[in-house]
Amino acid sequence: MCHQTVSLVARHLEAHGIPTVIMGCAKDIVEHCGVPRFLFSDFPLGNQAGRPFDVASQRETLELALSVLESAPAARTTVQSPLRWGADAAWKRDFNDLSKLSSEQIEARRREFDVVKSVAKGKREEA
Amino acid sequence: MTTTALDTATAVAAEHDVPIPYMQRTRDYYLALGYGNPYRWAHHVDVPFTPLPMPLSQARLALITTAAPFQPDAGDQGPHAPYNARAKFYKVYSMSSDVTPDLRISHVGYDRVHTSAEDINTYFPLARLREAVSAGRIGSLTPRVHGAPTNRSQRVTIETDAPELFRRCQEDGAEVALLAPT
Repeated sequence: MCHQTVSLVARHLEAHGIPTVIMGCAKDIVEHCGVPRFLFSDFPLGNQAGRPFDVASQRETLELALSVLESAPAARTTVQSPLRWGADAAWKRDFNDLSKLSSEQIEARRREFDVVKSVAKGKREEA
Repeated sequence: MTTTALDTATAVAAEHDVPIPYMQRTRDYYLALGYGNPYRWAHHVDVPFTPLPMPLSQARLALITTAAPFQPDAGDQGPHAPYNARAKFYKVYSMSSDVTPDLRISHVGYDRVHTSAEDINTYFPLARLREAVSAGRIGSLTPRVHGAPTNRSQRVTIETDAPELFRRCQEDGAEVALLAPT
């Protein structure tokens, strides 16, 4: 949802004269929405600005984003960072993967999510 | 044996080594959990584009985040915290960019298997942006950073939150913006 939110905000700012760049990890969501400029890092969600405790990777990620901001020739410019999360890409299989869960565990996930939904709804109505 | 440019260019990647298809994964996940009516993600054909009005070294940049200010009464928001809907926020907020604010991401679905949100600099690049200003790469930062609520309702984001963020960016004299989701 975060990637969709910033994509919609970037579109609004851009339409009102403020050039934008997004640094993100969810390529499909950002490109599906359609944004002016996007630096894509192929990292687990939560590391949009670089690796934990790795200042060099954070600097490189920011510098790439700034270069995209400066030099994108047209809307829908995506640049993919050359940085890799690890030597292999096995981590990509795990996100929202239910294949290793039993039906009881899936049922428990459902109950947890029902709670999350109702808490979020309460917070929304409060706001 | 040393790796040559040719080896790099011809190395074959694993089949699954592609950007994660989050929309499909999310759809499959909630269908498997028994929810119907899959979410329709925002989708637009036309995309606005505004060229940079000045060199970046002279521009004032606004940082926009989806991270949430720490709320002492809202439960575990630390590294490794489970998904915490109590820590969500539904109104745009602003904080000074002079000090690094205490912003957390327990309220969103980041990858809790492969990362832990222990280092704020992985999702909120303010420290790195300050370095870029010191180095003359960016002209300056706006006096405030702004928080964008992650609302399932695209209508609320488009009609309420995005205009409010634009208003605050204008108030701060922002000339360009960097957006960092979490």
